[in-house]
Amino acid sequence: MTFDAPNGLERPVRLSEATRAFAWDSLRHKYGQDTRKVMDVSLDDAEGFDEMTPLERYDAAVARIAETAPIRLCEGEKLSGAATLGRAIGHQVPAVRNGAAICSSVSHLTLDFGVVLKKGLRGLRAEAQEALARYTGTEREPFARSCVSCLESFSVWHRRYLEALEGRPEFADNLAVLRRVPEEPARNFREALQSVWFTFAFVRLCGNWPGIGRLDVLLGPYLEADLAAGVLTMDEARELLAHFFIKGCEWICGGNYGSGDAQHYQNILLGGIDEDGRDVVNAVTWLTLDVLEELGISDFPTTVRLSRKTDPALLRRVAEVMRFGGGILAVYNEDLVIEALTKYGYELREARAFGNDGCWEVQVPGATCFQYIPFDALGILQHQTLRDYAEDVDFPDFESLYARFKADLTARVTEICRSYEAAFWYADVPGGDWGWKPQMPCTVVSLFERDCIARGLSYFEGGAVYNVRSPHLGGLADTADSLYAIKKAVFDDRKLTLREFFTVLRNNWEGEEPLRQYMLHHYEYYGCDNEEADAVAARILDDFADACDGMNGRCGFRFPAGVSTFGRQLEWSKGRLAAPHGRHAGEVLAANASPTPGTDLRGATGIIRSYCRADLRRMVTGAALDIRLLPSDVRGEDGLAALVALLRGFVALGGYFMQPDVADAAVLLAAQKDPASYQTLSVRVSGWNARFVTLNKEWQDMVIAQYAKEGR
Amino acid sequence: MRVTEIQRFCMHDGPGVRTTVFFKGCPLRCRWCHNPETQSASQQILYDAARCIGCGACAAACPVGAHRVGADGHVYDRTECTACALCAAACPTGALFQAMREMTEEEVLAVVERDRAFYGEEGGVTLSGGEPMAQPEAALRLLRMCKDRGIGTAVETCGCFDPAYVPALAEAADLLLWDFKDGDDARHRENTGVSGLPLMRALIEADARGAQSVLRCILLRGVNTEEAHYLAIAELWSKLRHCRYAELLPYHPYGGAKRRLLGEADDGREDWIPTPEELERARDHLAARGVRVRDLGR
Repeated sequence: MTFDAPNGLERPVRLSEATRAFAWDSLRHKYGQDTRKVMDVSLDDAEGFDEMTPLERYDAAVARIAETAPIRLCEGEKLSGAATLGRAIGHQVPAVRNGAAICSSVSHLTLDFGVVLKKGLRGLRAEAQEALARYTGTEREPFARSCVSCLESFSVWHRRYLEALEGRPEFADNLAVLRRVPEEPARNFREALQSVWFTFAFVRLCGNWPGIGRLDVLLGPYLEADLAAGVLTMDEARELLAHFFIKGCEWICGGNYGSGDAQHYQNILLGGIDEDGRDVVNAVTWLTLDVLEELGISDFPTTVRLSRKTDPALLRRVAEVMRFGGGILAVYNEDLVIEALTKYGYELREARAFGNDGCWEVQVPGATCFQYIPFDALGILQHQTLRDYAEDVDFPDFESLYARFKADLTARVTEICRSYEAAFWYADVPGGDWGWKPQMPCTVVSLFERDCIARGLSYFEGGAVYNVRSPHLGGLADTADSLYAIKKAVFDDRKLTLREFFTVLRNNWEGEEPLRQYMLHHYEYYGCDNEEADAVAARILDDFADACDGMNGRCGFRFPAGVSTFGRQLEWSKGRLAAPHGRHAGEVLAANASPTPGTDLRGATGIIRSYCRADLRRMVTGAALDIRLLPSDVRGEDGLAALVALLRGFVALGGYFMQPDVADAAVLLAAQKDPASYQTLSVRVSGWNARFVTLNKEWQDMVIAQYAKEGR
Repeated sequence: MRVTEIQRFCMHDGPGVRTTVFFKGCPLRCRWCHNPETQSASQQILYDAARCIGCGACAAACPVGAHRVGADGHVYDRTECTACALCAAACPTGALFQAMREMTEEEVLAVVERDRAFYGEEGGVTLSGGEPMAQPEAALRLLRMCKDRGIGTAVETCGCFDPAYVPALAEAADLLLWDFKDGDDARHRENTGVSGLPLMRALIEADARGAQSVLRCILLRGVNTEEAHYLAIAELWSKLRHCRYAELLPYHPYGGAKRRLLGEADDGREDWIPTPEELERARDHLAARGVRVRDLGR
């Protein structure tokens, strides 16, 4: 039973043999395979279905799921509840009518699990009934009724588990805990953990992919109280917590999945400050790091909030766990994130509570209806500004070229924002009478989002406190590098004219290899700590943020900017032409806010400095930096110190989000050839991790290329 | 000052994250040198045939006809070459590049300053090479400039320099990474070209002046993997009051690849790589004699 680390480091053993065996089975797809045995429930026999509204159909589906989804009790599990319908793994409500899915589901949000811990389902039910009484006879009545119905379904599912656990002495503890939660508020660590897990499992069973949020904030106070009272030891608590993580792998099935098998957005944040500015780090923080270190479970992408004040012991511990690779830990610079949010208008207390959506897009958890809208800035530059290098396109100087690009970029942002306004709102005149258009049903997640129940409005129809649509710029590095390459070679150094350059690019560098090599090697691009190149990237982001800001204030949406590709550089590569910085048409280029593979000539510190040159506070929902390290970089005490130094520097220089990973291209190549021997080997893909062997070849090659330092 | 390169984010050249400045020129000619391009104090051209696309830019730029590109590809005749480096400037792929750059201490400092945010309490600059103290005035000036700005300073040295500079070096460097190659002085002469005895004396003097040090001991299988050498290390260790630990550096043959780039024969010796057992034995011998030992990177 070896939990792979891509650098050959031996993982510590702290958990019991039984728990480790449970993890081993789960990571080797035992429960994922089981989940796919029953894909969905059928509503073919539902009476009056055709006359139902979409919301009534949704409620019927949730009720049927609760009544009939398979119950699963895993041998030795310390927490019960399982999302056992296969269609949920595919991001749909797992209910069908005549073979067709009834409804899609919701992701990119972190729910407010704290409300279940504090009030219990009982408290939520009371609120829902109160809302129903208030809204009966109004247009909000159907949603209020749906809330009551879905909570009742949740209780039905809960009762089925109690029945299944009855008379099973081996699960006596689980039964005792579930008799209390999630119906009632939690009183201790085990109840709290089970309550969060059970609620998470039900929401997932209904097809949704929520994030977990700040696990140590949620659970820490319960554990600290138990430890103080002497009713639980750290070792016992670690076992319990491990089961939470192991159960979280119940959807992984092995096989080849494109972007990997672990991408269900079940994110966790650790550390940082609370609403009052106090450090939240507690026993749950440390134990979570223990579990991740030992089992290498990558299914809960976990991000630690760092700041200038982070305890050096925690920083070191983060580096220790990070060093095992697998991309399990990423970091936020919470100093900058909180400043970004407050500058954008969030209240300080809300900003301090920040969480994320599914990868790393920042939001106020449990209170935000969030979507992000990706677009390829390099596509704008090539297809619009430079009209694919047409012969009749010319610019007298760099500034006029850039001005054209800025106008095109602004137009794209405007178009994106308008299309979301049109999809969600009736009016589209500033200051006009904006009203929400009906959206797909989403009651189950709405139950755990402030203030859907109280407002009688669903998550997608104005129930959430914050309604955020975040345009995400992709292709940052290559857009900046393209512009910089043109600026230098054409306008500054006059190596060739723009027309000549366009001809070369139209022909994909055909017969111009020396020029291509010159463009690749003569200039230092974004990621090399070159002020002049980095200034172009910073300028693009500033203008992008201006364009987004310009769309605010028209309706209930806010349009904060962000930077991401999330692997879309793969699909975008197919429509991209040759790029001026020496790239061929169709090459897979940079990820997120990272430099293009092969341009990071100055190492990790140079990359971080380039990235931090932009005012990242304006990228309100985030800008992710991927850092790929080799096992030799982080070897031994020196390597640990180096990793700590990277984290410190990232915070000091004003980074936003960084996902370092450690792997060796040779190991990844070996795994590609012999997948059977590397089943649990995990890598960071983008905002998520994946068992490397479950990526398809295209994705695998992209990850390998990011570790290859030379060879261009 | 003459440098070959300045490497950032180094983690095995002293504590913390370091920027390592490689000086060009070394009085020693170690047969196992892993940075052979730093030995000569003059300009050299490195050529990586794998990166050559045969474009002929070098031939066009070369004033003495050292480069030819024909049907048989690119031929570089080093006997004609004056190392003027015009070819390297013209080469679009980086297949030809110059080993040396002339920089002022201010220019080097500006690069070192770039990673200040990452140095923390521990990290900083490391002068390496080559032998930094073969350019003593420049090295000392750079060290003092860094120190004045609160940047940690370390120097990797073989100890072969004018002993008159020892006090200044002990003053300017926070840490000396001192090479100790062989306790057998006849072998030392044979394999490095100089006696090791004055080098050792310089270290002892630096130590007497309070300089903190680390002993860096290369281990070459069949050359110095013997008890007498370990005894010599232990003896030296016992004379030092400020040595933090001895670091064992198993030989690796990577220097051979660089020799090829210099147009010389690859002299990498696989048979010199110590086995894990030999390393273990060396560690045990030293530990038994009270030497604090750390493997490189452990």
